[in-house]
Amino acid sequence: MALDLQMPVLVVDDYKTMIRIIRNLLKQLGFEDIDDAADGTEALEKMKQRRYGLVISDWNMEPMTGYELLKQVRADSGLSKTPFIMVTAESKTENVIAAKKAGVNNYIVKPFNAQTLKGKIEAVFAD
Amino acid sequence: MAAMTKENMARVIEFLQENKSRGGDVSLNDVMHLAEVMSGSMHEFLTVVQPAVTEELQLIAREITRMKTEISALRANDMKTSRIPDAGRELDAIVEATESATHSIMEAAEEIMSADPSDIDAYQELVSNKMIEIFEACTFQDITGQRISKVVSTLNYIDERVTTFVEKLRIPAGMELEAEESEEERRKRELILHGPQHKGEGVSQNDIDALLNSGSQDDIDKLFD
Repeated sequence: MALDLQMPVLVVDDYKTMIRIIRNLLKQLGFEDIDDAADGTEALEKMKQRRYGLVISDWNMEPMTGYELLKQVRADSGLSKTPFIMVTAESKTENVIAAKKAGVNNYIVKPFNAQTLKGKIEAVFAD
Repeated sequence: MAAMTKENMARVIEFLQENKSRGGDVSLNDVMHLAEVMSGSMHEFLTVVQPAVTEELQLIAREITRMKTEISALRANDMKTSRIPDAGRELDAIVEATESATHSIMEAAEEIMSADPSDIDAYQELVSNKMIEIFEACTFQDITGQRISKVVSTLNYIDERVTTFVEKLRIPAGMELEAEESEEERRKRELILHGPQHKGEGVSQNDIDALLNSGSQDDIDKLFD
């Protein structure tokens, strides 16, 4: 799978400032089509209406967490192949293991920098 | 210890036998008479045990008075109506101040990012002005620091009062009841919500990368050793 800067990216976070930060970093990396959602439920609705090339999601959100979103995306045959990066403050080993088992493509622990985000996106599309 | 005498016992039995065939037809006078016979039969017994009972009751009364004093010293109402709500207001103000400062800083940074650098003088002036705005926004740290100190002071106050209360009431550590899991705690457990970890407590980005790249169960198991 090649990295296409034209592909739509969905950023999911309940904290508006974090969406703004990731949006700005993605713009700096060359992405132009960036959409956002405030939790897993809203993200899932948007994903059913539009085909996103990448989802970048927080873990801890209400009512649907990023972990639940990941599991629902992987269980849906129409969405299951969507690259999914978890960006979260949840840094316990069991979180990483659970996300990996659920099919996450990469995992970034907050706080992070632009270089880490860039590196993880590139790694996902290099696989 | 003195017990009911044979004579008294016989009086109670006699009374009961005389009245056993009456079914539910019992008057208030009958009840009073039975009480009289019973109390008469217990008189000797009560005479012996009364001082011990009185002493026990006095001890219990003193303990209740002491507990009331300790509960007053806890100043629970002061905590509930004043200190805890005040601390909550300080925390709300901290969230508001950090949010506002972050907004100002990001606004300035976004304006710099989208500015046209072709006119160097205008660009330099814009960057310089925006940098000053960023410095100004950073002054929130001083005020939030003071607010956080007030919250910490409240927590210390509560900790001090509760610790003293537990000590005075001589509540042993193992005596606490098992807390029932709340709905929020159940959600956190099931959805693996731990929140941010302190420095050195969570796994690092390098550990995560190694884990995601390894893919073997052995490597995963090692993280739990």
